[in-house]
Amino acid sequence: MANLLWLQGGACSGNTMSFLNAEEPSACDLVTDFGINVLWHPSLGMELGENLQRMLRALTSGEMPLDIFVFEGTVVNAPNGTGQWNRFAGRPMKDWVADLCKVANFVVAIGDCATYGGIPAVAPNPSESVGLQFLKRAQGGALGASYRSKAGLPVINVPGCPAHPDWITQIVVAVATGRAGDLTLDEFQRPKTFFTSFTQTGCTRNMHFAYKVSATEFGQRKGCLFYDLGCRGPMTHSPCNRILWNRQSSKTRAGMPCMGCTEPEFPFFDLNPGTVFKTQTVMGVPKDMPTGVDKTGYIKLTAAAKAASPAWAESDIFVV
Amino acid sequence: MSAAVQTLDISPVGRVEGDLDVRVDIQDGVVVNAWTSAELFRGFEIILRDKDPQAGLVVTPRACGICGASHLTCAAWALDTAWRTTVPRNAILARNLGQIVESIQSLPRHHYGLFMIDYTNKNYASSPFYEEAVKRWAPFTGTNYEVGVTISGRPVEIYALLGGQWPHSSYMVPGGVMCAPTLTDITRAWSILEHFRRNWMEPMWLGCSLERYEEIRSYDDFMAWLDERPEHANSDLGLFWRMSLDIGLDKYGRGHGRYVSWGYLPHEDRYNKPTIENRNASVIMKSGVYDGAADTHKLMDQSFTREDVGHAWYDEPGHLHPFDRTTKAIAKNDVDHDARYSWSVAVTHDQDGRLEAGPLSRQLIAGGRHGESWQHYDPLVLDMYKKMGGASVMLRHFARMHEGVKLYREAERILREFRLKDSWYEKPTERDGRGWGATEAIRGALCHWIEVEKGKIKNYQIIAPTTWNVGPRSNDGSRGPIEEALIGTPIADPHDPVEVGHVCRSYDSCLVCTVHAHDAATGEQLAAFRTA
Ligand code: SF4
Ligand code: SF4
Repeated sequence: MANLLWLQGGACSGNTMSFLNAEEPSACDLVTDFGINVLWHPSLGMELGENLQRMLRALTSGEMPLDIFVFEGTVVNAPNGTGQWNRFAGRPMKDWVADLCKVANFVVAIGDCATYGGIPAVAPNPSESVGLQFLKRAQGGALGASYRSKAGLPVINVPGCPAHPDWITQIVVAVATGRAGDLTLDEFQRPKTFFTSFTQTGCTRNMHFAYKVSATEFGQRKGCLFYDLGCRGPMTHSPCNRILWNRQSSKTRAGMPCMGCTEPEFPFFDLNPGTVFKTQTVMGVPKDMPTGVDKTGYIKLTAAAKAASPAWAESDIFVV
Repeated sequence: MSAAVQTLDISPVGRVEGDLDVRVDIQDGVVVNAWTSAELFRGFEIILRDKDPQAGLVVTPRACGICGASHLTCAAWALDTAWRTTVPRNAILARNLGQIVESIQSLPRHHYGLFMIDYTNKNYASSPFYEEAVKRWAPFTGTNYEVGVTISGRPVEIYALLGGQWPHSSYMVPGGVMCAPTLTDITRAWSILEHFRRNWMEPMWLGCSLERYEEIRSYDDFMAWLDERPEHANSDLGLFWRMSLDIGLDKYGRGHGRYVSWGYLPHEDRYNKPTIENRNASVIMKSGVYDGAADTHKLMDQSFTREDVGHAWYDEPGHLHPFDRTTKAIAKNDVDHDARYSWSVAVTHDQDGRLEAGPLSRQLIAGGRHGESWQHYDPLVLDMYKKMGGASVMLRHFARMHEGVKLYREAERILREFRLKDSWYEKPTERDGRGWGATEAIRGALCHWIEVEKGKIKNYQIIAPTTWNVGPRSNDGSRGPIEEALIGTPIADPHDPVEVGHVCRSYDSCLVCTVHAHDAATGEQLAAFRTA
């Protein structure tokens, strides 16, 4: 029986909503099949007011064991490092987080806000938000770079805005059932099992990418979204086209450019004018290249691919 | 001599989507005064300032992961009106469908995940319905809890067919949508809807067919339906109704008795050239303000909206229209119940004062004859409201669930209306100007105001449903809707004030989007707070 506590800081509840869509395993399966004891959750927990405060104190004092602490949302430090702009159960949430992380066996950060700061940390970051162990690419965050949970692991980061439900439940179950040893984390503390391949892996527009055929406008049933519409699929680590969303699709399959939400820099270019849903180019060549591709190679490849591109590539391939 | 006043601070209330703190004064076991405080501030409107005009499409769905599609709808329509776009009919339908499936998803999720759990509270152990309630509705393990929570993930599969994923797609853009669904997407969407109906709506929620349920047009019809067959009385709706009466949820949670809706679901042939002015006459579900005491209906107009900040943690003059807000957050947010105590502002109507937003409001407005002849009309909840003596925890929750069948029918209609060979997007010309986009999230009236200047966002303002409902006192001292609804609430056990939870949860308030919706501060001030 693993005790799990889930709290939200500067959050939109999107990861909770995503979590409730989980299927393998589902949110209820965690409890009924894997014996996880959900002590409390902001949207699902039974207790309110003083009863919850009593439980939180029992956890921080060590009277009640905390196996898994799940955190969604940023750690709010405003104003001036006090954290008073996000109070919970009578005190700044950042103080609860610090105390709970001291006693937790494992700490799992869910979603971009908890991992890297996400949308709330976009400049000028009014809430002085940070992730648990990062702010964007910089290690540190609320807990500091050297933080380790009682089981000896750093914060396990499950990024995404939101994180995919199955990434969440699979990691929680792996940890709860003693498989933490099989977890390997990358430099941003993401489980490699999910975050080594690219969003592009499995994208149905891949052939168009190869032949450099572009979707030039929205609402088209052909073309790759990389060349004009700012798709970050070739340089984003995520399994979005392997483990589909809501069992059905992915952003790029549906015609929406990948925004790179599993990378620490999301949202890219801080949403400055001219950067939303538009590929940034220098003299016609994309500024951000597919990972591992250099500019000269890219230009040569483009000429060859364009010449080789078959006639069908310019027609509606995902036909009515 | 009356008993002493006992003050109870409840932090957090929980299961209201965000961190809500409530203070109540109790006298003779009944709430006599109340204050609601929103305790999180993220500053989304500050973040949006000076960004790309389309940044709202990315940022505002993240204001609230629960009604992200509704935020996206507002963000897209706000830019449409600012840029004077043309929106193809397919795109209007696709936007409406996305919003509808998000709302349908929210029904079982809220009902089982957030609301019915309280019916298993030990305070109700003496109710004859208690044992059955625990069997069905206990968190995670209840038979219907598990089915309801799991199946709530299905409608948003349709969202994924349109936008790639739910939550947090940005597939609605000025000029249309990013997707161009195919025949297989449409057919698949249809079968998902059918699955939802055959496995939850009919057998578990209603205990009858949608067609039978749609025959209910009055309170008397409803009571006759309840007694007609055991399947009706024992459905989750039937049991909810009977147990609510037994535990007295028809007796408190009344509120101000004045209601607002922006109206929603623009008609695909009537709003292709959207403007702020022609919206009221173009939406299928009409807008309005209903005054329960006078029993009058009229249309709602965005120009009536005002925000009072006298009791909120902002330092600026009161009673401003959102376009005029200069917004300045106060750094030191101490709770002072006589002065400032919330990040939510007090939203008011210029003439009608404090209004309640939400599904009950929509249904009371749906019972009015004040709109266009072709617009949606439904007299049931208004009739119940009058016969039951006004609003209550029970009626508010019923109204929320009642909408499901209507939204389901509209989703079906949309799937028939798509013309797959026609366009989904018309590329707009970017320009400066002011825009406004509104809708009804499942939780109530939601709208965005945008001002674009020199190709970037000059001002972005959001008023979420919970901003209306959870707001603190306004400058004239009137309580916010939830504060008002708490008055008269009986508290059986001050150590477990589940009744306060009932009232707050009947509003299905959603603090996550309120609290950042009305922030602001000057750029200079913020620089001082910025982390390295
Ligand atoms: S649409 Fe994006 S993910 Fe798909 S092939 Fe093109 S660049 Fe890759
Ligand atoms: S496709 Fe890209 S933006 Fe979408 S969820 Fe995956 S990583 Fe995030």
